Amino acid sequence: MKKKIAIICAALFYLGAFYADAQETILIKNGTIVPVVGKVITSGNLLITDGIIAKIGTGIKAPEKAKIIDAKGMYVYPGMIGPLTAVGVTGYPGAGSDTDEIGVSTPHMDSYDAVNPEDECIEVTRIDGVTTVLTVSGTRSAINGKAVALNLEGNLAEDMVIKRDVVQIFNTGARARNGYPSTLSGVNSLIRDKLNQAKLYAEKKKKKAKSPKKFKYDLEMEALNQVLSRKVPALFITSDEVTIRNALHIIEEYNLKGIIFATAGILKFAEKLAAENIPVIWAGTTTMPQRWEAVDKYYQTAFVLAKKGVLFAFNESGRPGSRNVRRQPVPASLSVAYGLSEQEAIKALTINPAKILGIDNQVGSLEKGKTANVIICTKSLVQLSSKIHTVIINGKIIPKTSVQTRLLDKFKKIVQERKKQSREKRE
Amino acid sequence: MRRKILYLLTVFILIAVSAAAQDLALKGGTILTITKGTIENGTVVIQDGKITAVGKNINIPSGIKIIDVTGKYVMPGLIDSHTHIAFGMGDGNEVSNPVTPQIWMKEVLDPGHDTIRTTLAGGVTTVKTMHGSANVIGGVNVTIKLKYNHPVEEMMVKGVRQQLKMALGENPKRLYGSKGRMPSTRMGNAYVARKAFIEAQEYKAKWDKYEKEKAAGKKDIKPPEKDLKMETLRMVLEKDMTIDCHTYRADEIVWLLKFCKEFDIVLKQISHCVDGYKVADLMAEAGVSFGGWVDWWGMKEEMYDGCPFGFKIMHDAGVNIVINSDSANEGRFLYLNAAKMLKYNDLPEIEALKMITINAARSLEMEERIGSIEVGKDGDMAVFDKHPLDSTTKVLKTIIEGVIYYDYVESRVRVKGSYR
Repeated sequence: MKKKIAIICAALFYLGAFYADAQETILIKNGTIVPVVGKVITSGNLLITDGIIAKIGTGIKAPEKAKIIDAKGMYVYPGMIGPLTAVGVTGYPGAGSDTDEIGVSTPHMDSYDAVNPEDECIEVTRIDGVTTVLTVSGTRSAINGKAVALNLEGNLAEDMVIKRDVVQIFNTGARARNGYPSTLSGVNSLIRDKLNQAKLYAEKKKKKAKSPKKFKYDLEMEALNQVLSRKVPALFITSDEVTIRNALHIIEEYNLKGIIFATAGILKFAEKLAAENIPVIWAGTTTMPQRWEAVDKYYQTAFVLAKKGVLFAFNESGRPGSRNVRRQPVPASLSVAYGLSEQEAIKALTINPAKILGIDNQVGSLEKGKTANVIICTKSLVQLSSKIHTVIINGKIIPKTSVQTRLLDKFKKIVQERKKQSREKRE
Repeated sequence: MRRKILYLLTVFILIAVSAAAQDLALKGGTILTITKGTIENGTVVIQDGKITAVGKNINIPSGIKIIDVTGKYVMPGLIDSHTHIAFGMGDGNEVSNPVTPQIWMKEVLDPGHDTIRTTLAGGVTTVKTMHGSANVIGGVNVTIKLKYNHPVEEMMVKGVRQQLKMALGENPKRLYGSKGRMPSTRMGNAYVARKAFIEAQEYKAKWDKYEKEKAAGKKDIKPPEKDLKMETLRMVLEKDMTIDCHTYRADEIVWLLKFCKEFDIVLKQISHCVDGYKVADLMAEAGVSFGGWVDWWGMKEEMYDGCPFGFKIMHDAGVNIVINSDSANEGRFLYLNAAKMLKYNDLPEIEALKMITINAARSLEMEERIGSIEVGKDGDMAVFDKHPLDSTTKVLKTIIEGVIYYDYVESRVRVKGSYR
């Protein structure tokens, strides 16, 4: 008998575990669906099966056992993407961050090796509608390391990965505090030296292909060769006109697949970037203007980039953030206030970053066959008062809980209880 | 020729005088009065810098400059009760001693500082600007109107109690601890604060005694030695000055409330206060304002429990909630932060607007003068092209006492010498 109960219990447990993790069949109905690519569908439906967007349109019937979400009066968007973050690798304050390894050239560092799926920033970020991030290994050295694109759902780092080796991160403004390279020209020389070395290394490796035992394998050189062979794009962190110019020179000289991360000084390059198909991660909407600059210069930058035909994505911060990646819509709102169309702004939060990071085959829009990263909001995404009603990642409905909702629940009770006690005391 | 110059000079003087006349009427806009509802297609009249009429179908006195704001939104100028603008960054912290109440912020104001220009562009008209949080007892803040490029005396708000900045927690701990000095712990912070106020009590007693004897006509008495540090603290003890204290953790908030009770001093605002929601009832009971951000959290350990959902708990408990910027950069976006607060809390829109206007005025003890559009109040306005809680809105005009200090003209970004 006991054995039987144990078996039943085990079976139930197994089933429970299975169902809890299963990708459900979900039908979102009656919502204003903004697929980002293609036309907005009013009162539209979206069907999710096996973690994938199966159908999108009007009049889709709910399959049996489908979970139905009524999105009447609400907006349905693809999940937002944070194109340069440290989500998963920042850690608890005081415990030490896992970004920015020591050294001026660390291209072999891989943020994937440090991703902590329990990082509390993950929940905080995703319940506000950012479902995908690029997590970097660092940005403060001349040559920093690899970055990984993650869906913010999964119990193990490997479950979260969309793509590894998404970019290699360079920084043309990374003067070292002590020692070489302490000037911008030094930074450029260092990057060139390393790329040149990597070229020689590749030639040597080719020559010794027949006797690989005699060849000394070098992780740093291997990583840079991925960039030289254009397998991995080179993302350049810049801070002004000079550092952007230097980055563009290196991109051209070595025929790299370049991406520019900018916080200022980008406009002069707009036409060149558009002509050469070099995309921009624009993180400067809230840059403080210099005293000789117009107050709206940075608010207008996205509008000008769009007008000139530059492919760009928003980043809420000039540094890889983790706590407030949820602020992604802020630069979009400001840019719309100062001229950018709402449609372009939403693209720059979704499909544009996906394209820039080379993950647009999986995420960034609501299209049949893509990963079901879907968010439902009460208002447009560019409205900061818009509440996030539902978040779906990998086809799973994400519980709307985080360290902060848990604090809310805990202290709401405590404050109420204490108020009650003091009232009773008075009476 | 000379006559021509004279003529031109008179014209200039006339222009200057009329610009400073402080008479203005905003006509045809949606007026968000904050305290007395919303008026569609309304008019506000400002004369001599004060609001003289608000409402529909108002007869605008002749000779007043009329600005048509049809389709636009008019609200009281935004107020920031905790920021660090209008002075050079080197003057942010007097890092030589954890107790420096002799330091006055008004002495480093720079009326041409660029942060005033950028803050005006966010519709802000009044701020309390202050030094950093290096010291347990920092120095005296200053409340100013953002009259860009005007003399300091005209910017400073008169007739209100100024506030002394205190700071608890990690900042003073880290700074003095790293120098191998007290305070390097929260216990040290507490001791340093208590010691200063005990000394101030003794100092005050000496002066009280002297003044009493002097008033009684006693001769051959010498005044006690003046001490500028103690002079400020004496003002606090005499309730001629109040306290704004920087702190994060709930335990420190509770300590602070008790401390202020112990010394019978007035605590007006707890700044940053990320744990405020945990002790909302106690803060409401003490009548102290919350002044903080909406969504900052986790940058350091003491800031880890910052919670954007906490505003409703505080509101329900009756805390006076103020959204502050704490920086020149965020100071431009108070209205965006008010919208953001609504995302996390089921509160009416008007509550969000109060947090950047009348509530802030209350924290500065200026609710009779600013923070709402009412007859008799200062003519401080922000004109928006859309509702201020619509995140795609922008500020068109910022008006202080009837004078336009910011007038948005699209800069039409021109790119000179672009790279090809």
